[in-house]
Amino acid sequence: MNGNEKFNHFLKNKDIPEGAEASIEELIKKGEEILFVIVGDLNKKGQYTTTALIFTKNSVVCYDGVPGESETLLFSDMKDVVSKRMYGNATLSAIMPSGKREVFFRFTYTISALCDAAALFISHVRDGADLNEETAIMGVTFERALSVCPKCGRTLLHPGAECIMCRSKSKVIKKLSAYLKPHVPRLLVCILLNFLTTFMALVPPVVTGFIVDNIFSENPKSAGIPILGDIATLFGDDKLSMLYMMIVCLFVTYIGHYGIGTLRSYQLRIVGDKAVASLRNDIYKKAQYLPMSFYDKTSTGSVINRIAGDSSTLQAFMLRISQEAVVHFFQMIGIVCIMMALDPYLTLLSLIPVVFIALASRFFSKKIKPYYRRIWRRWSSVFATLADTIPCIKVVKSFTGEKRSAEKFEAKNNDWLQMDLKIGKIATVFPHVIGFLVTCGSLIIWGFGGTFVLKGEGAYSAGLIISFISYASMFYTPVTFFANLSDSFQGALASTEKILDILEAEPETQAENHVVPDKLKGKIEFLHVGFSFDRTKKVLDDVCLTIEPGEVVGIVGTTGSGKSTLINLLMRFYDGYSGEILVDGHNIKNFDLSGYRGQIGYVQQEPMMFSDTIFNNISYSNPDASVEDVIKAADVANAHGFIARQPDAYDTMLGERGVGVSGGEKQRISIARAVLMNPSILIFDEATAAVDSETEHLIQEAIDRLIEGKTTLMIAHRLSTLRRANRIIVVDGGKIVENGSPEELMALKGKYYKLVQIQSMAAESERMREEERF
Amino acid sequence: MERIYITKEDKITASENNLVNLSLKDGESFENLEPRRLFPVNRPDEYITLLDSEGVEKAVVRNISELNAESRVTICRSLDDYYLVPQITKIVSTAEKYGNLHWVVETDRGRKEFDIRNRNSDIRIYSDGRVRVRDSDDNRYVIDDWQVLDKHSKSLLVADM
Repeated sequence: MNGNEKFNHFLKNKDIPEGAEASIEELIKKGEEILFVIVGDLNKKGQYTTTALIFTKNSVVCYDGVPGESETLLFSDMKDVVSKRMYGNATLSAIMPSGKREVFFRFTYTISALCDAAALFISHVRDGADLNEETAIMGVTFERALSVCPKCGRTLLHPGAECIMCRSKSKVIKKLSAYLKPHVPRLLVCILLNFLTTFMALVPPVVTGFIVDNIFSENPKSAGIPILGDIATLFGDDKLSMLYMMIVCLFVTYIGHYGIGTLRSYQLRIVGDKAVASLRNDIYKKAQYLPMSFYDKTSTGSVINRIAGDSSTLQAFMLRISQEAVVHFFQMIGIVCIMMALDPYLTLLSLIPVVFIALASRFFSKKIKPYYRRIWRRWSSVFATLADTIPCIKVVKSFTGEKRSAEKFEAKNNDWLQMDLKIGKIATVFPHVIGFLVTCGSLIIWGFGGTFVLKGEGAYSAGLIISFISYASMFYTPVTFFANLSDSFQGALASTEKILDILEAEPETQAENHVVPDKLKGKIEFLHVGFSFDRTKKVLDDVCLTIEPGEVVGIVGTTGSGKSTLINLLMRFYDGYSGEILVDGHNIKNFDLSGYRGQIGYVQQEPMMFSDTIFNNISYSNPDASVEDVIKAADVANAHGFIARQPDAYDTMLGERGVGVSGGEKQRISIARAVLMNPSILIFDEATAAVDSETEHLIQEAIDRLIEGKTTLMIAHRLSTLRRANRIIVVDGGKIVENGSPEELMALKGKYYKLVQIQSMAAESERMREEERF
Repeated sequence: MERIYITKEDKITASENNLVNLSLKDGESFENLEPRRLFPVNRPDEYITLLDSEGVEKAVVRNISELNAESRVTICRSLDDYYLVPQITKIVSTAEKYGNLHWVVETDRGRKEFDIRNRNSDIRIYSDGRVRVRDSDDNRYVIDDWQVLDKHSKSLLVADM
């Protein structure tokens, strides 16, 4: 509390640094109204310092972290203000009337959104824009910058929203136990069965002790368990019958033990398998709904690894937990009880090694924990190499990269090997240390117990010692198991973490009160849309655009100009843009996502085919379509002819060996897909870029039939594709530079005109060449 | 087009802000070029391209060490301005909260606290001991060789590796 309460009447992103207070107070004294303050994190030299930019209606005061010192810039003194993004930092600089650039603020990306808005604020206000309106825009930016989850600090979708990460983030075990919940009745049965098996497992040592003491011994001792004492008196001196009786007794117990054990194991396995299967389903399902931006950042290999590999690790762990852990747990308790009943003193003695085992296990788990994560990283990188190179095998082969690719894989695999060997050393030493400690435990019983028996102290007999030794060894099995469990537990934990990465990643955002569009008319509006993938470079910058229903709009521009991004935003593949996109007057963010996308037919440059039949590939867009609808769609797409010529026709499997479907044919299949869904808006993203001119003609014909009366956006390099367009938009550097009918743009003699000139020249020469050939 | 590689005889002088002027030994000169690294991660001192205000490359420095002393100082100062990648000298504390890693570090530019979204993709360890960290706001940090960090930092880093 450094007196910041008195600065509550204006917007700020953080507490005002003490050193800047004086400057603010001075401004207030002068009667200036402070509109907002941006608290920064870097000084102009690039050192971390708390700095501040104080805005009034006609000036900005820069405080660079030196208490008491500040610099005032009047808006009227500068020609313009620009925000420049560098690497890890950015600057605001004023362009003076002399043309000189003066950097007045430097900051990290952390506050770049605010500073970008501030730059616009200054230049708008300087140009005479309405001050209140501009301040309101800044207010929204501040609100957005400040709407972070109070728990984890992630930016929220909108102020006051519940943080998706924190809502679902809970303890790993709790998360997993949710998958066991449906199986509670079965688990209860298993626990009951466990009581039985544990009880039966506890019988044999007592019986063996009794055999030693009462059958082989000259002077029988009283047995520890009353029932056995009764049996002894029943048989009297007939020791042979007594022995047979005991053997039968043991045999029956064994049958029960192993029989029930089998039943229980099977039941537990069902539970484990079902839980993992539903977990895997959930991951896959979630993966389908993850936004494109997730896949941009995460390699497909690692996603596949998480679904396949990590859930297997979990499966193994769950089986272990459900099968053995439960069994061992009951056994442990049973054994301690019976040992205490037999002799508390010897019990305590034989439990001494447990302390060491527990300590060793703790030490071990601490030591091994970081390795598991590293091993996972190595393994994931091996897997990523796999998933990256196999699909690109054509590139590998065409550049004779087989050897390189094999070597790269080997290197990664070797990394994994080294790490696994390292972990292997610890992981193998440990069980043996435990084993040693356990064996030493039996020595203690032999030593103490044996001495007591020989000296005849107390009620100790050879039989009791033998029972004890077998109980003790039975006891150490679960102890060893639990000690080692931390090993597989750590592995499972690492895997779970990866899986939760997917399960808890933010899904594609769905507005709360969404509108399901029935039939869109197809009016599209872009209002001041800006977008950047990673904050370093703006892909779209303040794009404004209105497309009327039924218009056919051609979008041209160089590669990287932002035209595909325009489409990606319209398709809602990315949501993190500024400004608004409206369709039929509704913000597309308010639309029901699947209902909205279901109205847009999207034909990509590279037609993606599933390895399925041609029929299923077409009907993917509308699985309920009738056979005839599909055939009709293929007709419209100029695809029916070549499909009919395939030996398997519509049943031809795509993506398999020996299927000769060319790129142009695939493209027509993908157009048929778009036809079948009967969309309101059509988007062609360079649909004819990769085919020859004859196929282009066929595709063009199909497109012409398809776009009838529908709002159509066509991205194209070849202007011939755009002959149906009644409007052309030229995109350059993330901005729309030309917009109008083809005739208008030709008259403008700008970029479009230049493009037409170049291409008609090229087309002419190509035509001549083709004429020569035939 | 022939790429111009800058030699010892060419002169690079500072212009306003982080821009530089270049005069070649054959008399040709360019003003207000912005030096940018072509390999900011793997070869920070090699292949520095000089772009004009339109982003068009005018010349390339093959290796900073090939420049004469004044030019080298100018280029380094400009690059230092443009590329803000603080060197982490000490990891003070790390904590994991709701899946985010929160690091408090000492850097050559002062103390800094930041969040890391994903420890698998945002902390990259190179085989030569370099570690590059990206925070939730896309700022970058670097550790030149994690093996030479103090014991405390090392143990914190290893736990998150």
